[in-house]
Amino acid sequence: MPESFRLIGKRLPRIDSEAKARGRAVFAADLRFPRMLHAKVLRSPYAHARIKRIDTSAARRLPGVKAVITGADTAGVKWGVFRYTRDQQLLPTDKVRYLGEEVAAVAAETPEIAQEAISLIKVDYEPLPAVLDIWSAMAPDAPLLHEDHPGNVNVHVAIEVGDLEQGFRDSYLVREDTFTAPEDSYFMTEPYAAVARPGMDGSLEVWMPNAAPHQKAKALANALQMPLHKVIVRKCYIGGAFGGRSDVFPAEFMVCLLALRTDRPVRLVYTREENSLATRKGHGMYVTIKTGVDRQGHVLARDITCYLDGGAYSSTGPIATSVPFLCHEQCYRLPAVRFNGYRIYTNKPIGGMYRVHGRAFASGIDLQLDLLAQELGLDPLEMRLRNARRPGETTPTGSYVQSCGLRECIRAAADKAGWKDKYGKLPPWRGIGLGTNSVQTGFPLGIRGGSAATIKFNEDGGATLISGVVDNGQGNDNMLVQIAAEVLGLEPGDIQLVSADTEATSNDPGAYSMQSTFTGGQAVKLAAEDARRQLFEVAAEELEAHLDDLVAAERKIFVAGAPDHGLPIHKVIRLALLKGKAVVGRGSFAPKVDHRREWMKNPQGQLSETFSFGATIAEVEVDPQTGRVRVLNLVLSQDCGRVLNPLVVEGQWEGGATMGGTGGMITEEHLWSADGRCLNPTFLDYRVPLAVDVPPMQCVFVDTVDPTGPFGAKEAGMSVAMSAAQAIAAAVADAIGWPVFEYPLTPDRVLKAIREKQEHERKASA
Amino acid sequence: MPEQERMVFRAEINGDEVEILVRPNQTLLEVLRDELDLTGTKEGCGEGVCGACTVLVDGRPRRACLTLALEADGSRVLTVEGLAPGRELSPEQRAFIEHGAIQCGFCTPGMLIAAHDLLRRGTHPDEAAVRRQIAGHVCRCTGYAKIVEAIAAAARDQEADHA
Repeated sequence: MPESFRLIGKRLPRIDSEAKARGRAVFAADLRFPRMLHAKVLRSPYAHARIKRIDTSAARRLPGVKAVITGADTAGVKWGVFRYTRDQQLLPTDKVRYLGEEVAAVAAETPEIAQEAISLIKVDYEPLPAVLDIWSAMAPDAPLLHEDHPGNVNVHVAIEVGDLEQGFRDSYLVREDTFTAPEDSYFMTEPYAAVARPGMDGSLEVWMPNAAPHQKAKALANALQMPLHKVIVRKCYIGGAFGGRSDVFPAEFMVCLLALRTDRPVRLVYTREENSLATRKGHGMYVTIKTGVDRQGHVLARDITCYLDGGAYSSTGPIATSVPFLCHEQCYRLPAVRFNGYRIYTNKPIGGMYRVHGRAFASGIDLQLDLLAQELGLDPLEMRLRNARRPGETTPTGSYVQSCGLRECIRAAADKAGWKDKYGKLPPWRGIGLGTNSVQTGFPLGIRGGSAATIKFNEDGGATLISGVVDNGQGNDNMLVQIAAEVLGLEPGDIQLVSADTEATSNDPGAYSMQSTFTGGQAVKLAAEDARRQLFEVAAEELEAHLDDLVAAERKIFVAGAPDHGLPIHKVIRLALLKGKAVVGRGSFAPKVDHRREWMKNPQGQLSETFSFGATIAEVEVDPQTGRVRVLNLVLSQDCGRVLNPLVVEGQWEGGATMGGTGGMITEEHLWSADGRCLNPTFLDYRVPLAVDVPPMQCVFVDTVDPTGPFGAKEAGMSVAMSAAQAIAAAVADAIGWPVFEYPLTPDRVLKAIREKQEHERKASA
Repeated sequence: MPEQERMVFRAEINGDEVEILVRPNQTLLEVLRDELDLTGTKEGCGEGVCGACTVLVDGRPRRACLTLALEADGSRVLTVEGLAPGRELSPEQRAFIEHGAIQCGFCTPGMLIAAHDLLRRGTHPDEAAVRRQIAGHVCRCTGYAKIVEAIAAAARDQEADHA
């Protein structure tokens, strides 16, 4: 008999949506406090320069200015995600390494006075030669961004598994292709903002959009040299993240420093341009893929060399360099594979984790498979099915795959899209393409990898749930409450959520790497089960029933099958209170991963406890005169384990496919001037998709249940974002009958490919 | 920088008569958010592109970030906070919630004002008309699918009510 749930699997509206619909949801820039000061930041006008002297005297004299800070006012602590990547002073003392880097900050009575003060700060720079792309950065005589990194190589991840030479020798066909794409950006609708307020007890409260309150607090405590319990990252609503809020930024460090200096609350709100330049952006990428296959299309060997344009500092460098490869090795069977990933320092804004993790990489892998299939006379669909990961297998770097519905996703998406009737049969300039990918649910994070939750009850039967999980907009708050309500037999409205507040909540790894449901959701489920067991113990005595016979539903505890033989939960709580017992449930969970695994030194061992898999099918139309690509339809499918809330999951898929595919593959890219200035940091020039650009999308659920996920759930959304990019690249190649190796698929690039094809046909017929 | 002389700004905002002193260079968005604490209206770009700051001025959608407060002097202004009285929900607010049209929620206030403007005109919008109506509003979370569904559903309900 299939398990039946009251709330799990239902299309429940999110608990946070009413506050957002009524304009009551408070984002960081909405916070106001008595005597609050306003901060502004002075940024480098050079891509690379030595800071010789900073004169802040005129700024300090301006009436209304309360504090001015520069690198000289800091403890000089360098930030880095890993001990070995600590390369960024949150306010630099020696050099600036990109145009837009923070140099000084002011707190004043009004934003206008703060801005005026910024213009009065005099900085004596010695401009240095800058490197603005990976090739000039790696040139033998290139200026170095960081003296201890020769060749400006920030990260080198080297992986080799299996006998590569033998694999290529045994191959029937071998292809080598190079795929490239410049930087893309998050453009979350909320510009970054940070607020700090000194407490009367020596504490400091901080608000900012974030993907990991506990990690932010730790980094700030280090940089400010304060005890961790005194740096309190509070919850606020967050206007999107997509990987771009995972790291620690100078913004929160500067407001904290200014707040401590002035002993007053300080707020800093970034402009859209600052959000683009001074938080994170996607990596530019140049990737060469060589793949050998047998006559049936099975991949025997693959050799990948990938260069990432990392920008000025490490950020999450080792992770960002590895993840594109890891997603792909999870998705496809690979008897022998070699990966050399290089993240290169350049004098540009800092590259971070971006939802699609490199369009050039993901699309390159799949498009090359299509090209090999074409040469073998195979349908691309069949090619993917033959190489697709199956459950129970182990990835090349040693991760056991405990659940995998990839082949089911491919087949279901193909059925829905009418692949058989369309592939090879569409009218001219129309194309259909398939993308497949896989995503982790978290990765080894040592002592910070686990999540803990607590549930306490009130005498009226309502509960308070306390969890460190943060909601960036994806619906985590609702996910936590939905899980707890299901287990406890309550309605979502009976549960008050306290989350993402480092003073109140226990550790949580953060809402990145798609782990919140698997890790944080599991901790909540365990806490709810612990509380329910306590309720059952009290009820069993009163009802003279056996513990194992009790169930919790409809706000009651009763004997299974006999709803009348039971007690309302509020009565159970009151009985417990009379006995001097407080019902408090606790749960903690850390995924089973191999803690010896390390991104660079030891990329081997269990990466995530489980993985999700996704397939997207795109249909496109290309205008051969203008080179313009129109996406006509997208079919989205993902093995995300049990779907906890279809309404939320569909939203994740539709949004992911739009960002990764319809926007990411068609219009989105950053452009740079010769002196390192980003030419399109705003919505005016960086074209994100609008409602009129987006095609119909159909979501196809594949019924899989992960053996260890909460109610069988895994990650939802990211593998669709990635596979949408791949599907569109494949569909455009199908439409024009020629591959495009440079992304995004802007008219100039598409027309170039059409001309290449025509040239090729002329030569062939000559 | 000398403090500019403040001038009287009078308007009916969400049904309330408001009279305050503003600087001539203050935008309507700044006055709503900073002087009146109506922070439901968001600033996403500050240059009239993203649509998050959209409000109705005398019944017409306006980018509050590009509108000087004094331009709206003597007007009726409607923000997201004024869509429904007290803790009630307007039809478009209810539709957005029920159809999962809200993710991070930052674009939501502007989207709701655009939806309200469309519904108020009662023009029986088809899907293409709904998409055109919100084409000046950036949402980065939803891919617009559920927002379009929500507005279309609210429009259908409205027609059914009037039938």
